[in-house]
Amino acid sequence: MGKKFLIDVDKCSGCKLCIIACKDEHVGSSYAPWSRPQPDTGHFWMDVQPIERGRTPRVRMSYLPLLCQHCANAPCIKSCPDDAIRTRDDGLVWIDPAACTGCGLCQDACPYDVIFINDEQGIAQKCTGCAHRVDEGLLPRCVEVCPHEAIVFGDETDVAGGEAYHPEYLAEPRVLWKGLPKPWIAGSITDFHSDELISGVAVTAVDLFADGSVTVLSDDFGDFWLRGLEKDRKYRVEIRKKGYEAFHAIVTTADDQDLGNVLLKSVQ
Amino acid sequence: MSDQRKIVYVAHPASGLARSNFPLVCHVDDGKIVRSQPFFIPEDVRLYEIKTSRGVFTRPRKDVQMPLAYAWKRRVHSNRVKYPLLRNDWSPDNPNPGKRGTSGYSRISWDRALDIIVAQMKSIREKYGSMEPVLVQADGHGQSGYMQSLHFWGHYLFDRVNDRLGWGWWTQQVRNPDSWEGYYWGAKHVWGFESTLGEPQQDAVWDDVLEHTEMVIFSGNDPEATGLGMSGSIALEMVKWLKRAGIKIVAISPDLNYAAAVHADKWIPLKPNTDSALYLALVHVWLVEGLYDKEYVRTHTVGFEEFRKHVMGEDGSVAKTPAWAEAITGIPARTIKALAREWAGKKTSLSVYFGGPKIRGALSHMAARLEAYVLAMQGIGSPGRQFLRTGAPSFYKNSLAQVPRYPDVDKSGIAMNHMIEYAIGKGPKSPVFIPRTLATEAILLPSIEWRGTSAALAKTEDQFQKYRFPPSPDHPGIRMVWNENGSQPGSWGNGWKWLEALRSPQIEFVLGIHPWMENDIPFSDLILPAQTNFEHEDLIAVQRTDLLSMFYQDQAIEPVGESKSDYEIHRMIGQRLGLDEVFPPVDDWLKKAFEGTLASTKLGITWEEFKQKKSVIYDCPTWEEWLDIKKEFGLGAHDGGLHNFWSEAGGLDTPSGKIEFVSSRIAEQDADNLERPPLAKWMTHSEVQGSKKAKDYPLSVMSNHPRFRFHVQGDDIDWIREISKVRGPDGYLYEPCWIHPSDALPRGIANGDVIRIHNERGAVLVGAVVTERIIPSALGIEHGARMDLAMLEGKLIDRGGCINLIAPSLMEKYGPGEEIKVPEMNVSGFLVEAVKIDVAAIVAGTGLGYGSTVSGH
Repeated sequence: MGKKFLIDVDKCSGCKLCIIACKDEHVGSSYAPWSRPQPDTGHFWMDVQPIERGRTPRVRMSYLPLLCQHCANAPCIKSCPDDAIRTRDDGLVWIDPAACTGCGLCQDACPYDVIFINDEQGIAQKCTGCAHRVDEGLLPRCVEVCPHEAIVFGDETDVAGGEAYHPEYLAEPRVLWKGLPKPWIAGSITDFHSDELISGVAVTAVDLFADGSVTVLSDDFGDFWLRGLEKDRKYRVEIRKKGYEAFHAIVTTADDQDLGNVLLKSVQ
Repeated sequence: MSDQRKIVYVAHPASGLARSNFPLVCHVDDGKIVRSQPFFIPEDVRLYEIKTSRGVFTRPRKDVQMPLAYAWKRRVHSNRVKYPLLRNDWSPDNPNPGKRGTSGYSRISWDRALDIIVAQMKSIREKYGSMEPVLVQADGHGQSGYMQSLHFWGHYLFDRVNDRLGWGWWTQQVRNPDSWEGYYWGAKHVWGFESTLGEPQQDAVWDDVLEHTEMVIFSGNDPEATGLGMSGSIALEMVKWLKRAGIKIVAISPDLNYAAAVHADKWIPLKPNTDSALYLALVHVWLVEGLYDKEYVRTHTVGFEEFRKHVMGEDGSVAKTPAWAEAITGIPARTIKALAREWAGKKTSLSVYFGGPKIRGALSHMAARLEAYVLAMQGIGSPGRQFLRTGAPSFYKNSLAQVPRYPDVDKSGIAMNHMIEYAIGKGPKSPVFIPRTLATEAILLPSIEWRGTSAALAKTEDQFQKYRFPPSPDHPGIRMVWNENGSQPGSWGNGWKWLEALRSPQIEFVLGIHPWMENDIPFSDLILPAQTNFEHEDLIAVQRTDLLSMFYQDQAIEPVGESKSDYEIHRMIGQRLGLDEVFPPVDDWLKKAFEGTLASTKLGITWEEFKQKKSVIYDCPTWEEWLDIKKEFGLGAHDGGLHNFWSEAGGLDTPSGKIEFVSSRIAEQDADNLERPPLAKWMTHSEVQGSKKAKDYPLSVMSNHPRFRFHVQGDDIDWIREISKVRGPDGYLYEPCWIHPSDALPRGIANGDVIRIHNERGAVLVGAVVTERIIPSALGIEHGARMDLAMLEGKLIDRGGCINLIAPSLMEKYGPGEEIKVPEMNVSGFLVEAVKIDVAAIVAGTGLGYGSTVSGH
């Protein structure tokens, strides 16, 4: 049965327990035939990549727990001159330490940048999906330790949903993702005259080059968050409330955008 | 499995005070710890369920500890003190005190080490007539287990030296309320709660919150850092309960801390140590708009009218308007108004945990009192309006636990080591003592005076008692230091001065007892090698999470070098002094403790059976049983927290039994104390922005408990360093410093730059993290980084980034010779400047502290 990882970015709190559990399992321990010991430091077969989003005070963190994507169409496999990188029956991709020469071509080929060179042993290394544990019916260590169930592992028939991270790589990964960050447009709305935050104001983002728009209401702190927008698009943001002059802005979602404190003037 | 392989339960290394979390499950193979894994609660243990109209809440069977715990095995062989070490240029006749921290060590035998210690104790007695010149520091802030690696044996030993040998008292360093000081020194005077350290009791509080609460204020609370570290993953689970119950989370803190960054619905950043001004302005809005529980204030509180006048400026002071608070806090007035209306309009609880920036700075007692006022105006104790700890050690209760547990299990389910009374007691055992916050001054100044023992469970009136050190003018003061922590310079304030104190000519002997060569340990004359938790058997008394249980800790590996457990070290010293009988064999001691618990008395498990079985985890009551239990205490299904105070309008530990806006105790007994007047107010001082000093030092350091360390512990672990530090251009891993782009830009500071944080007390180096996660004009630097002293431009600095080295002394508010009226901690919210430096100018390995070489290893 094929295996699958499902990572939910919305659940990850960046605690890095998965990194430590991975090191605990692999530093100093050999699991033939799947892996040789990870070096004491410097390798992150599991890493947590922080993404800081927004501007003070509308800031959030997203964390991407990044490990080998165990691709069905793996660029690393194609790049290996020694056929040392293989796919198990369950789909986990592993670098055979007995066959690897440490040439580093796979490291260059991997678009996810999750392969490391072990200089001491002269081999390339990466996440094995804890194949040695999976064979015993156990979960990978990162999955076992995660206190937020942000990393789930199981039979592909049981683990539902998710999308590829960077589908444009066409690598057909077995690690699928939920909650991958999409840009937001945020801000807060204040009455120009009274300096009071205004709640319940409709804020709409209209995609200028595609159909569709999103509307949210400002919350009790006057904040609005237009979430889940597409990256690198142009949106017309419209802020309207009865009795106020409308506010318009054209915003490009190169990244998360914060409009700051938007002042609405009441109609005279 | 081969014979060499075994699975051993090991106490969470950062346990402390003999109380633990669920253990690490360690796989040992051929004398080596191969892996450390989370504990899974067996299926046959009945978990609790909290049944509400918003769903049923329980905990997962998986229990996870902070990352540090699973990396702890890396410390077993790294940086260890392996043998007794004697400083090369120390001798009884010429201790060379000024060389402490610079000279090397030589290995000596245990015999010789014990001879030296006993000879030093005798010499103190002969010269000064008692043991009073010995400062014993132990208080539980190091790696800890139940008994073997417990940091109270120094006090126990000296207690016996007094009562058995008649050598007189010792100077007991009393642990101050180090992460809840504002509640202790302040809020107690408003609402009492003496037995729960000044914070409202947590009895069945979740039943109420999950049923009724609509919004929770996280006042600096960080379940993802301190909560996970102290209570394990239940702290994270409790945040998930809030989310699942649809409760809005608003985080108020200078930083967007780790929990707020992923869980909060709203972040309200404010300048460090300005919470008092925010609370006053909230009250102003409520008064103007009538948004508070007037009936409750009338029936449940006293002294409100004076407070009302103060807030409205009717007492001659300025009105505490949102605009007034904006200038102090940096929070826009419009946001203050919105918060005030939200708070009043929704059933709002306030959540804290140990630490947080509000509670660890100067005058935190004002902030905590004002917080109590604010909660009182919104009817604390009424449904949904509670004081909430996300993850409660079991002592934060009156009669019932936070979550459904049997009261008899709470009462006698797990063994309690009475040694903790040396740290959490009603008062110091020795009449000669100093609060930990004044350890440095007690050595360096001729005499100090203060009020309050600072003992955790001291009566509130104790805070008005005057104490002095030395106790009499002809007293020799401190001549010997017994350091069982190695944490003073990184966990308490004024750290540079502490290092100076250790090098004072008056100190004849410094004994360090510690597993690692770190922090102030290399300022000792003699260092005794203590063990890690992996190297000895012990009991694990699980009490800091939501379930109570006990585990037997087998010895996982052979001791490293000639290390001994803390208990064994003190037993050997005691033996030299003829005190064998007060140090019984470990197994006898543990057996006795176990036999006093329900596991033995009710479940009939013998000690030998327990050692085979390895664990006892108590079942929780069913929801129906829990409801019956609650009935006995007058609580309905979704009553909890301060429900009984709400329904009875009395019964608090205050003179009036009610919430006191104007403290009658302070008014009667401490009226001349300008620092802590009967009515709490906003008070400016020298460490707040806008003071004269702020012209030179315009930035405020906000210092939280670390996410990846436990206080000062574990900062040398390579795995922890590589996930938590900032790699400088020289490759060195610097302690992170959060700085807002608006402060970084004018200083030419970019991400990854090495910056010097300095004030008049000295300087430390940190690595810049330019971030939107901190309010402008503040810096975020976690406490407890491992000291690594170096020279920069001819001055001694700390390259390790141990920020407490430059935190203020309590004396600074008053000046030497004057009485300290509130011996509070001041380790967050103090002024500094940040300057980018050229790493090429750092001269590493300059000697002090880390130049110490060890021969004979």
